[in-house]
Amino acid sequence: MKDVVLAGYARSPFHFASKGALVKVRPDDLASAVVKGLVERTGVNPDDIEDLALGCAFPEGEQGFNMARLVVLMAGLPISVAGVTINRFCGSSMQAIHMAAGAIQMGAGEAYICAGVESMSRVPMSGFNPMPNAALYQTMPEAYMSMGETAENVGREYNISREEQEMFALDSQQKAVAAQSDGRLAGEIVPIQANGSNIDADGCMRPDTSLEGLAGLKPAFDEKGTVTAGTASPLTDGAAATLVCTAEYAAANNLAPLARIASFAVSGCQPETMGLGPIFSSRKALERAGISAGDLNVVEINEAFATQSIASIRDLELDPSTVNIDGGAIAIGHPLGATGARITGKAAQVLQREGGRWALSTQCIGGGQGIATVLEAV
Amino acid sequence: MQAIDKVAVIGAGVMGAGIAAQVANAGLPVVLLDIVPDGAKDRNVVASSALQKMLKTNPAPLMHPRNAKRIQVGNVEDHLQWLSDCDLVIEVVIEQLEIKQDLYRKIEQHRKPGSIVTSNTSTIPLAHLVDGLPKSFQRDFAITHFFNPPRYMRLLELVAGADTRPEAIATLRTFGDRLLGKSVVDCKDTPGFIANRIGILWLGAAVRFAFEIGLTVEEADAVIGKPMGIPKTGVFGLLDLVGIDLQPHVEQSMLATLPEGDLYREVHRPSAYIERMIEEGYIGRKGKGGFYRLNRSKGGKVKEARDLETGEYRPAVAPSLASVKAGRQGMRALVEHPDRGGRYAWRVLSHTLSYAAALVPQIADDVHAVDQAMKNGYAWKRGPFEMIDQLGPKWFAQQLAKDGLAVPPLLEQVGDGSFYRLEDGRLQYFGTDGTYHDVQRADGVLLLSDIKRGAERVAGNRSASLWDIGDEVLCLEFHSKMNSIDEGIVAMISKAIKIVPSKGYKALVIHNEGDNFSVGANIGLGLFAANIAAWLQITESVKQGQYAYKALKFAPFPVVGAPAGMALGGGCEVLLHCDALQAHAETYMGLVEVGVGLVPAWGGCKEMLLRWSTNPRHPKGPMPAVSKVFETVATATVAKSAEEAKSLLYLRPGDGITMNRDRLLAEAKAMALAMAKDYAPPEPRELQLPGSAGETAMTLVLNDFRRAGKATDHDVTVGKILAHVLAGGNTDPTATVSEDKLLTLERNAIVSLLKTPQTLDRIEHMLETGKPLRN
Repeated sequence: MKDVVLAGYARSPFHFASKGALVKVRPDDLASAVVKGLVERTGVNPDDIEDLALGCAFPEGEQGFNMARLVVLMAGLPISVAGVTINRFCGSSMQAIHMAAGAIQMGAGEAYICAGVESMSRVPMSGFNPMPNAALYQTMPEAYMSMGETAENVGREYNISREEQEMFALDSQQKAVAAQSDGRLAGEIVPIQANGSNIDADGCMRPDTSLEGLAGLKPAFDEKGTVTAGTASPLTDGAAATLVCTAEYAAANNLAPLARIASFAVSGCQPETMGLGPIFSSRKALERAGISAGDLNVVEINEAFATQSIASIRDLELDPSTVNIDGGAIAIGHPLGATGARITGKAAQVLQREGGRWALSTQCIGGGQGIATVLEAV
Repeated sequence: MQAIDKVAVIGAGVMGAGIAAQVANAGLPVVLLDIVPDGAKDRNVVASSALQKMLKTNPAPLMHPRNAKRIQVGNVEDHLQWLSDCDLVIEVVIEQLEIKQDLYRKIEQHRKPGSIVTSNTSTIPLAHLVDGLPKSFQRDFAITHFFNPPRYMRLLELVAGADTRPEAIATLRTFGDRLLGKSVVDCKDTPGFIANRIGILWLGAAVRFAFEIGLTVEEADAVIGKPMGIPKTGVFGLLDLVGIDLQPHVEQSMLATLPEGDLYREVHRPSAYIERMIEEGYIGRKGKGGFYRLNRSKGGKVKEARDLETGEYRPAVAPSLASVKAGRQGMRALVEHPDRGGRYAWRVLSHTLSYAAALVPQIADDVHAVDQAMKNGYAWKRGPFEMIDQLGPKWFAQQLAKDGLAVPPLLEQVGDGSFYRLEDGRLQYFGTDGTYHDVQRADGVLLLSDIKRGAERVAGNRSASLWDIGDEVLCLEFHSKMNSIDEGIVAMISKAIKIVPSKGYKALVIHNEGDNFSVGANIGLGLFAANIAAWLQITESVKQGQYAYKALKFAPFPVVGAPAGMALGGGCEVLLHCDALQAHAETYMGLVEVGVGLVPAWGGCKEMLLRWSTNPRHPKGPMPAVSKVFETVATATVAKSAEEAKSLLYLRPGDGITMNRDRLLAEAKAMALAMAKDYAPPEPRELQLPGSAGETAMTLVLNDFRRAGKATDHDVTVGKILAHVLAGGNTDPTATVSEDKLLTLERNAIVSLLKTPQTLDRIEHMLETGKPLRN
């Protein structure tokens, strides 16, 4: 078996959809800028890249056609590099990493770019033409349940109070703001040119978040519920990219691996509590890596909502001090297709920075799924 | 006339900002300047905060938020050079002569040669303003006095100085009329000009006599309001609205400038009661309350009124004065009624109307100008001289004499006659020379009321009429109660469709001069039919409306709608079926049927789907048009201006907007005639709609809204039925849906909704209270 490593991670700044600095940037432009940045920063020889796997949750409109192939052309990669657009909703770009790792193990190439993008400004959630199956909706309405409602369900099932969610959200904001001001985020960000200005920092964080402020917000999805805009990830524009290759290739080409991909898994779960997906997928991935949660030094869990993050941390018995050290999606943002690449690249980067052996990146997925990746230090 | 392509407004208070907004609404770039406050970091802060406030003010000064981009903010210390390319500079700064004159000297250094400068002063005579300023300035200077809020109040008083260039005045008149949509009235350079001169005396008299005769504030407002044709805020409600604290300033400035012996000096009494209110902060709606207040202390909202003796608040009561009821027979019955309401009405009117009569020609050349000013500046239904005509000038003069009040010479002069008369179908007024003169309309003004005075209607019934408006164009006028659409209107639409081609007309214009174009279908009839389960009749009458509107759309001649005011529900739908619209800028269109638990069923859903699905700037596919129409209709979105109606596609991109309501009919007629050349009616179209998938997608949204508390149970029921119509029923995205099929879906939808008790409750509630029921 060949060792597969993550040998690079870069992303765009993340900004609020519809009002942030990236509203006017097309998603294919955003993705190609980040891919270009990754190639330059890693120094990988573009001719060696087999494929660009690009995750996107609503691949239509400007995210339509086969965006991955178009991004290859736009980023100026050699014509020999292929492109595939991947959709597993929020898990799309983590899935891109998994597919590349699997393909490499099959001997189908040595280096892949695994990326993801979502402009939630320019392609709305559910897309321009949402056309659910009426018969399925009749028999199983939860298949189309809104994400906010699933977050309320998890909160109720796990007895997670509003106050607990707000503490979690405040913590996420504070960690992200600290990471930003300590310069821990700047290194991963590829500046984006938009409207004549250079966008080089995240825009979703709210440094003035307070428990009082959070307590004043109205429930966003259920008038009797506990989930607010403050305890959910915001609609976000952004892109992220990783370089996945064999350890031998990295060594031979003077690339700097961040971590080895030890195992991964996906798992289905109840659609109405899709936020619990990380529990099931992480358990499988940990088992496949032959470790337990207690062995983890670094965890990146996507904070789609505070409720599902808290429930997952609780059930997986994760050590909170290892989780989302540089802040999570509640503060940083969650551009659906881009998040998997961000948190997996982030987990590898933090593992290298903080030391230790094992890292986990995991996230929940609409419709009832989870996805997880275990990384080992190199 | 000079071209006005760019305007500067100096002074960004409520009036200045409002004037700048209206200039921007007219499509012109405007510079808005104010002072630099001491130590300000942002030197433009006064003007820029005014601009920010504009976007939040309700009712909105801007007709569309994007108009804000036309306003460039700055300050008078750094940016006076911007005046060098402005054709008109409007000064709206504090009412202090020295400050104004100092500013004028600075303006004079920077302004474009030959540009016009005006002041919005309401108190300082023009002669004082220009005293000592260069001749060149005096020649280009005038007063343009706007009313608050400048977008909505139609009056613009125009005052020329002794040396003002006639061309500058002509330019201002045209600019105010055509671009700003104002009713421009020429005034003499006298204190308070026309409207405030009379209005301040009227207010003073109405307040004083209410105290003296011992009326409650509700009683006074009930007498002043509807019976006199004055907005229902009456006098005390009006003071609350404008701010009670302003009154002493206004009164003092009038007393300082009015001539000796002016009636106002006699009417005016300082009121300790009101002084105390101001001291204690009870200054009206912007303060702790005024003569009325909304008490929210016990959870709900209780309207309270202030006792004029004790100064205590108590729950407001609907007054029941016999005089107010008698007033329905006319103003004479009101003022002759012996109860305290009648006595009050007489004292207020005798003073106000005789004052107005005594002031012509001192403040205006003729009585018509005075009436126009009061109607457009104070929103009175009738001007003072029209009121005197209603009372009978001779009787009025006799009663004045009986009361020991002076009988003005003009009133004596009119004698047995009246201030207005009809002569060969032409409206004439009584001039100060003792003879009658035709009321002159500006070039390009065509009023249906003028046409109606001189002609027989071509056809008509109780609810609608057809008028020949010249040049072979027919006009369909609604005149049912609130212009609600009923079978009379539907019948007259069908009649018009026959008459236009058969009697040699080229085109049809749909227009009326009511406050509102139409508030919608007559839902009372629908409620009645539903209560007796007359489902077949309901289906039939919906069908008749659909067929009439459809016939309008496919008629072999152009149909142009010319709405102003509200055009809601069925009134909006009739416009959606016109070939084109020429809308007054203040047109408020909306499909509001869900408010009464219904869906648009006279082709409204169908027409909106057609518009959005052919909008080239909207995403493609079976859902985007459907989603957009669903969002618009399910939330009963009403456009707050004709410009906003364009964004919602109630108006098409090529439809016209007229700023001045008096020019609406003429412009609609010109549009109809232009279209009549080579006119070809539209072809029916087929639509590709999503069917069950789309219906499910909209249901998902409705359920989320319900859960989040943004929709009620019945909102969801109505929404689901609307979703079924908009999705094209049980169609498949690979098939097409005809316009007629959509009409059938609309019809079925309305019948099924009329079978729900919640919809009937909504209709009943609307009929009783005028407000939607959220059930």
